[in-house]
Amino acid sequence: MIITEFHDALKNKKTSAREIVISYLDKIKKENSGLNAYLEVFEENALNQAKETDERIASGETPGELWGVPIAIKDNILIRGKIASAASKILGNYVASYDAHVVEKLKKAGAIFLGRTNMDEFAMGSSTENSAYGPAKNPRDLSRVPGGSSGGSAAAVASGLAMAALGSDTGGSIRQPAAFCGVVGLKPTYGAVSRSGLIAMASSLDQIGPIAQTVEDAEILFNAIRGKDEMDSTSIGYPEHDTRRATVKTIGIPKEYFREARLPDGQGLDAKIKQSIDETIKKLSKKYEVREISLPHTADALACYYIIMPAEVSSNMARFDGIRYGRRTEGDDLISTYKKSRGEGLGLEVQRRILLGTYVLSAGYYDAYYSWAQKVRTLVKDDFTKAFSEIDVIVGPTVPAPPFKIGEKIDDPLAMYLSDIYTIPANLAGVPALTLSNGVQLIAPHFEEASLFEAGKSIEHD
Amino acid sequence: MILKEDIEHLKDLARVSASTRVGRGGKFSKKETEKLAKDLGEILGYVDQLKKTDVSNAPEITHALEGVINVFRKDESNKYNPEDLIKAFPEKENNYIKVQFIL
Repeated sequence: MIITEFHDALKNKKTSAREIVISYLDKIKKENSGLNAYLEVFEENALNQAKETDERIASGETPGELWGVPIAIKDNILIRGKIASAASKILGNYVASYDAHVVEKLKKAGAIFLGRTNMDEFAMGSSTENSAYGPAKNPRDLSRVPGGSSGGSAAAVASGLAMAALGSDTGGSIRQPAAFCGVVGLKPTYGAVSRSGLIAMASSLDQIGPIAQTVEDAEILFNAIRGKDEMDSTSIGYPEHDTRRATVKTIGIPKEYFREARLPDGQGLDAKIKQSIDETIKKLSKKYEVREISLPHTADALACYYIIMPAEVSSNMARFDGIRYGRRTEGDDLISTYKKSRGEGLGLEVQRRILLGTYVLSAGYYDAYYSWAQKVRTLVKDDFTKAFSEIDVIVGPTVPAPPFKIGEKIDDPLAMYLSDIYTIPANLAGVPALTLSNGVQLIAPHFEEASLFEAGKSIEHD
Repeated sequence: MILKEDIEHLKDLARVSASTRVGRGGKFSKKETEKLAKDLGEILGYVDQLKKTDVSNAPEITHALEGVINVFRKDESNKYNPEDLIKAFPEKENNYIKVQFIL
């Protein structure tokens, strides 16, 4: 059931919050052990919340759009009193001392939290295999990865273990699993949603966003979580007058996404994915003007990301030292306590990125790597600014290839990184991007999520 | 090219010298160090392609969005409950975090 249908049923007293929550909890009990989508299920809380919702409706209140909606929350988003481990051992016993801003907003809106979902440790990965609590599986084919890092959230929504979910997206971590599992995922404009209470990975790129079954459901959740928050100074008051404006006239197709992806492994875009994009473009051309555009720095974006992201990771991860919270492994002196706590608490991919970030920020290397990458990031952003002076929405793929087998790329980090080639540019430029259940990715200018929803619905309903 | 010695130095700088497997006494195995050196070498080899990009007219980015300004607020304590934070300390005495000698 989708949010809009459930809301109507709840309003018309055809169902109750208790009924829907019980049905989800039952399904989770049956299917989660095979999927490993949830790390923890909040059965008692969910049932209590449902009871409260039903009592309010019984007393005559009119339910809001998200009342009783059972939602899954990625394990790097804080819910007060619940463990938030970011799928890491170092935070395995960490109980959140406050609510993330988005959680506070969803609580007020009446949503019900079913549990916390599996992910790549600290959101570092593209397959959910980097979880310290075992990989999540793709509900379409259990031998394959659900994508990552928000793989648990995408798998939960795709398999009907949640009506919708929240994920986080630093280089594609909402959109790539959405494409792999066949659901909808939105990476909002940088700053549209507060990051307060999101365990930081790369702060200039991270955004929280919804994973849902339809574009409209994603839109409802996005509208519920966006807005300025004083606890995140990079959050921005969303231009309210713009949110319902329909503006899409021209669609741009970046030639670099199809012709010269320049993947170092020599592979281009998968033929089936290309076919599905072509069909979508054909549909769109009935309604909109479709034009070829150029984003010349597409291939540079990936290399640029793998400098900037680990640099920010190495800095953000410094706080996990076993001193104030999380797991501490005592050593002979303070330095060895740091090293032991971090060495035993953090997984290999996290340590790899910390070392890489430490390297590119080291004296003597800063100009050659970090400073250079920040300049290239300007060029990537300028590509989008130029493109959006001519067109309203960019259409392309989310991923270059279909979901890979569990274990296939785990020993080859570079091959794993390449699956993010089409999603990273939007993070570097801070622009919003929406992945549809058919794997098509739409990209719009800053704060033009409304254009994404309009074009997305048009493709979905055609 | 990243050498094993570089990895040792980086591990020291980043305070991550223990193995990912518990009970290893705080060391990467030789094999893990070699694998890390190889991985990092490959990733850096890949990102080196950026050197071919002409950045002579590009300033370093400071923010992805135009027109954002620095945000200030009053230096006041926030609404959060300190008891929850104290509860999270791995080791404590009264309400203080307990750590080893620093000097």
